[in-house]
Amino acid sequence: MRILLVEDEAPLRETLAARLKRDGFAVDAAQDGEEGIYLGREVPFDLAIIDLGLPKMSGMDLVKALREAGQRYPILILTARGSWQDKVEGLKYGADDYLVKPFHVEELLARINALVRRASGWSKPILACGVIKLDTTAQTVTVEGKLVDLTSYEYKVLEYLMLHAGELVSKADLTEHIYQQDFDRDSNVLEVFIGRLRRKLDPEGTLKPIETVRGRGYRFAIPRTDGDDE
Amino acid sequence: MDADTALPSRAPTATTNEPSRARRPLSLAARAAIATGFVLAGFLGLVGLTLSQANKERALSALHDRLQNFAIAYITNFDVNRYGRILPPDTSPDPNFSRPGSGLYAVAMGDKDFRWESPSAIGRDFSFLVPLEPGASRFVGPIDTRMGRLYYYSYGVAWDTEAGKSVRFTVMVAQTEDQLEGGNMAYRRALVIWLSVLGVMLMVLQLLLLRWSLTPLRKVASDMSRVERGDSEQLDSQYPLELTGLTERINAFITNEREQRTRYRHTLADLAHSLKTPLAVIRSQLESTTGDVQAGRSTAVLDQVRRMDELVAYQLARAATSGRQTFASAVPIAGAAEDLVQGLEKVYAAKNVLCEFDIEDGAAFYGEQGDLLELLGNLLENAFKWASHRVLLEVKAQPEHGRKRPGLYVSVEDDGPGIAEDKIEKVLQRGVRGDERVQGHGIGLSIVQDIVHAYRGELVVDCSPELGGARFSVRLAAS
Repeated sequence: MRILLVEDEAPLRETLAARLKRDGFAVDAAQDGEEGIYLGREVPFDLAIIDLGLPKMSGMDLVKALREAGQRYPILILTARGSWQDKVEGLKYGADDYLVKPFHVEELLARINALVRRASGWSKPILACGVIKLDTTAQTVTVEGKLVDLTSYEYKVLEYLMLHAGELVSKADLTEHIYQQDFDRDSNVLEVFIGRLRRKLDPEGTLKPIETVRGRGYRFAIPRTDGDDE
Repeated sequence: MDADTALPSRAPTATTNEPSRARRPLSLAARAAIATGFVLAGFLGLVGLTLSQANKERALSALHDRLQNFAIAYITNFDVNRYGRILPPDTSPDPNFSRPGSGLYAVAMGDKDFRWESPSAIGRDFSFLVPLEPGASRFVGPIDTRMGRLYYYSYGVAWDTEAGKSVRFTVMVAQTEDQLEGGNMAYRRALVIWLSVLGVMLMVLQLLLLRWSLTPLRKVASDMSRVERGDSEQLDSQYPLELTGLTERINAFITNEREQRTRYRHTLADLAHSLKTPLAVIRSQLESTTGDVQAGRSTAVLDQVRRMDELVAYQLARAATSGRQTFASAVPIAGAAEDLVQGLEKVYAAKNVLCEFDIEDGAAFYGEQGDLLELLGNLLENAFKWASHRVLLEVKAQPEHGRKRPGLYVSVEDDGPGIAEDKIEKVLQRGVRGDERVQGHGIGLSIVQDIVHAYRGELVVDCSPELGGARFSVRLAAS
């Protein structure tokens, strides 16, 4: 999951970026609105976190500009004032959620997960495809009710595939959304992850959850059982 | 004529919030009307008196001339024979002298007990007459006699006979007052009528002029109430020179007040930003350090950070609430509510909450847009948070007779679990005391309470009769 973080306050930006990375997100941090708009247009993010009080270009203008540039990924705004004027304006210009400073990092993570999930059409925190269930809140995966032990990156790869269950996900997409820019992008690493995932999820080889589309990428093949909220 | 009823509007005064109105001084229009009324009445009365006096004098002098002419006419008709006997006249200068009781009488008396009376005067008592020396004349009147009030003119004559004797006699011509007075009364009546008509016309003209010249003042007053109602930002009409000093100062005052409020809000926003970002840094750093050794210390510090944060948030929100203002503009509710609901529906999309509104057309909030957004935003967010599927927002204007700005009723209901009756007090109490709040719950409500308080309204929490959850209703009084 690749996140754009635009925050001018260096300590906060660095702590947040560090924390998000530790949680398995790929983070691109920008310190002002101009850098934000540059990155936001170039990189296919899954979500953007934008502080409203930015130098050079205000957060509000950045949100507007990203939406005008056709970027569809969810945007979460951070506001220090916490006034409804800011919140309403931000939401009107295209933000999807807001968080008032100071916030709990846990709260931020929960919001990020919910937004990413919602953006890919999942309304509940548990992504269920047949017997495979991924709990985005607890970050756990179960197969037929049994917990599967995954590493952080394996989890992220699976989460990304399941979020886009049924869709073709290219290797480039996966690497871009999962890894940091400076990470080793050797596609073999990805193949290794996919191989391990297949073994862990489907030791008997009966479910075949992850399909390889030759030369193009991967597809999570088990259809969603929980798409709609009742 | 009553000056006050003649002017339909007593110009409304701009100072409505005087604490104790002892007695309102007379309106300018009333003052001017009363003053000109008195002056006009005095003036017209004096004109009337002068005219009627002049007329009376003119009538008297005309009477004098007339009676004198009659007397002379009679004298020329008298004759004295050679024995010195006076011969009465055989003609009369006016037919009324021949008609008994006509009111016009002629009497002559002379030497040797000569006495003659015109046919009209026969049998009447003219004993009050005294003979005059030759050449003397008298004009007397009015005197009371049996024939009524009389004016008479008498003239003494000496007639030289051929025998060289001198015969003296006096001719008197009298006229009753009613003939003179009759003319005079009619004249006075006409005078009074015409002067009254003139007076009324002048008064009406005066009032029209007054109305016209006071129009700019009324315009200022009505513009002022438009500003108060929030329909206008400034006194923006053209005013006459005498008033521009006043209106420009009022405008400057209004602008100044608004600018000061804006500046104040910006300062608060900056303060909020500069306080809260460091708090956010502290919090995120503490929360990210999960080392066991530090865990205990971190929790204690985090707790304090949370308290500081809530205090800062609460006090800043409180300070930013501007409260009731005399010159607040009207903020339409519908637009603000739609934006809020759309935003919240986005944020709470996962809950699939349906928000219905019932907003009366033209319902407006008289105050800062920010205050309205805080009020509605916090109430709606609360409802979205607790609702299972439905939220109902109801807004009504509550006009009150004699108030320029209608009151406002806002209620937000949800179909959530609601608040038990014995907990309501607690919920509201918690809102009031900014420092003892449950995490993530209550700061919104305390801001709502502060805003309601600042606008001198009331907040009621009860059970929604329609949806079964909680209902928060706010009532702001008309002003």
